[in-house]
Amino acid sequence: MPEADAIRLAQQGDAAAFERLYRLHSRRVYSLCLRMVGNTAEAEDLTQEAFLQLFRKISTFRGESAFSTWLHRLAVNVVLMKLRKKSGTETSLDEMTEPDEESGGPRRDFGGPDLRLSGSVDRVNLQRAVEQLPPGYKSVFVLHDVQGYEHNEIAEIMQCSIGNSKSQLHKARMRLRELLHEALRDQARENRKAASADSGSEG
Amino acid sequence: MNAIDAMPEWMGKGNWKIASLLISGLLLCNIASAAIPPPRRLEQHFKVTAHPVITIHNPNGMVTVKAWTKSEVMIISTRASDDVEVEAEQMGNRVDVSTHATSDNVAPDDMRADYQINVPEDAELQIHDDAGEVNVANVLGDMNVETVAAGVDLEDAAGYLTVKTVDGPFQCLRCTGRIEASSISGNFRLWDLRSYHVRAQTSTGSLLFSGEFLPNGLYHLKTYSGVIEVRFSPGDSFDLSATSLKGRVNNQASLTPRTHAQHFYSRFGNSLFGTFNAGRAKVELSSFDGTINILKRE
Amino acid sequence: MATNTCKEFLNHLELWMEGERHPDAQAHLGSCTSCRNLVEDLNNIHQQARSWNLEEMNLSPRVWEALRFQLEQEGLIRSNDPSQPESSTAGWFSRWFRILPRPVMAGAYLTVLIVAAFALMKPIDKQINEARWLNGTQVSTTPLHAQLNTEQKVVYSLPNTNPVVTASLQKNMAIVDNYISLCEKSVREEPQNEVARDYLYDAYQQKADLLAQMTERGENAQ
Repeated sequence: MPEADAIRLAQQGDAAAFERLYRLHSRRVYSLCLRMVGNTAEAEDLTQEAFLQLFRKISTFRGESAFSTWLHRLAVNVVLMKLRKKSGTETSLDEMTEPDEESGGPRRDFGGPDLRLSGSVDRVNLQRAVEQLPPGYKSVFVLHDVQGYEHNEIAEIMQCSIGNSKSQLHKARMRLRELLHEALRDQARENRKAASADSGSEG
Repeated sequence: MNAIDAMPEWMGKGNWKIASLLISGLLLCNIASAAIPPPRRLEQHFKVTAHPVITIHNPNGMVTVKAWTKSEVMIISTRASDDVEVEAEQMGNRVDVSTHATSDNVAPDDMRADYQINVPEDAELQIHDDAGEVNVANVLGDMNVETVAAGVDLEDAAGYLTVKTVDGPFQCLRCTGRIEASSISGNFRLWDLRSYHVRAQTSTGSLLFSGEFLPNGLYHLKTYSGVIEVRFSPGDSFDLSATSLKGRVNNQASLTPRTHAQHFYSRFGNSLFGTFNAGRAKVELSSFDGTINILKRE
Repeated sequence: MATNTCKEFLNHLELWMEGERHPDAQAHLGSCTSCRNLVEDLNNIHQQARSWNLEEMNLSPRVWEALRFQLEQEGLIRSNDPSQPESSTAGWFSRWFRILPRPVMAGAYLTVLIVAAFALMKPIDKQINEARWLNGTQVSTTPLHAQLNTEQKVVYSLPNTNPVVTASLQKNMAIVDNYISLCEKSVREEPQNEVARDYLYDAYQQKADLLAQMTERGENAQ
């Protein structure tokens, strides 16, 4: 069943149409949720919630944007609401950045040690770093670098401008680099402590 | 006894005449007002916080957006007929405004809705207006404006400004930030800009640029057959590449020619490469067969 | 050691990561290890993130079961109706492109146009950056170059609610078609003329975008 027909039938309450839409889009939505929350059980719950909202509102879909864009917008909102509740703050969903002294972007370190990340940017470290990003940075990074959306698509999903999407992505990557560097330094410190503890016990 | 004689005393003949005149006048007004439909004006207010996003989908009509100091979005819509409805919905810090036909086969003139919208100055705007006019003033957030035949006029705007028309003209006055504009036959007028990145392309329209060339700025102007005119001041500093494949390049700037190997354009058409003063900004002008004029600002 | 030039490079870094190569930035990278490391780190982050997408995502079947149960509870779904209405009369073309957002639609048209161009002309000089004119959101479609004129006719036959807009789109389509034929002529006469090729690819991009806009408006009017 082509998607357009499935949408039309789903708007009339057809069960097979609902299932068709779910099969077409669930994997991508789940992938997005999983990258955002890092936990399979939570990601499944969020996927279910996103589709539930979708099917509740499907009669209002007028085709002004692509169906997948509309769905992913819903999914992103569901995830961001969840993350906001988790953080326990009442900050607006639109709070995207960590302010710095100057212009609201990540700190720009000059003259720091030339630590190279290559070899340290493995999946585990990067996943941990992504989990520490503010929700807005995380959304754009996951949508662009992980899921492969283009900035104009992200602008529609996130309801922001293309320039905003590009700017947020850049800030996200810079922040990830800082987080990965911190993790590298922490690891180096732990290794030194362990080495001196070993040599102390031997002596 | 006639009707006049039958009237009560307090209603003398003179008063009756005045009364009948008044009643006739009222009747005429009612008839006239029934012939002219009353304006369909609607005013809506939405409270917002910092950096709201406002989207406007309007197939036909004028859209005027101005900034104000309130943390509120005010929308005044005027519909041309009852065959069209306007809808404004708020979701969080986003306000979506759209115009819809209420029935099939609505005449284009009846499909029209004009909007006057006031927004906080840090608002982001996304405007789709096929025919009509789009005017935005003093809004500093990012903007994406797309039209077909509607003209676009941005004044004192900032942020990441993206404008796309098919044949609507585009004027950008005293804008800053980053500007990307494209059209097929619309004329562009980019005036008094203070932007670090301008990328503008129109195929058959003309392209006029007069603004500051900021250090490390990039100014890329391109037409197919339209004229490109760029104005500079003696204090400007830019590195220039200008090429017209089949048209002319006219230059009033005293350039220091570049000696090292250049852009691949240099082998074809009429080209000019050089630096003006320290060459801090990068200016790239190209046309297929239009004329390129680099003129002193008066 | 940090310098003002590093600061200027950082101001430019976002554009660099989007693919813009300013000569000053290029020159600075050649001499600054710190900024080179920074760029390499950002590229590594991007590459690693990309590889995540290739991983298999296994969604538990219980998600659909729970969702379906809830939809039935809320009365949002009902059993299938055997008498389903016919699908759109615009046919396979309309169904295929209706689901695509406009940038993807434009990319699909652009792919078709460029495939047709390849059939007409010599292979493109590899120095020209193909990524510049191949829309990043292009959809992999079966070659439709034989359907180019047919598609344009289908698009023209779609209804539109505003004759002013329709007239503008059609007039500008004629302008772009003229632009394409003049550029193609230039490229045939001077195959090494990269300027003409550059303009030709721009024209294809404009035509693809116009076709996508016309399709979108025609579909919305249906």
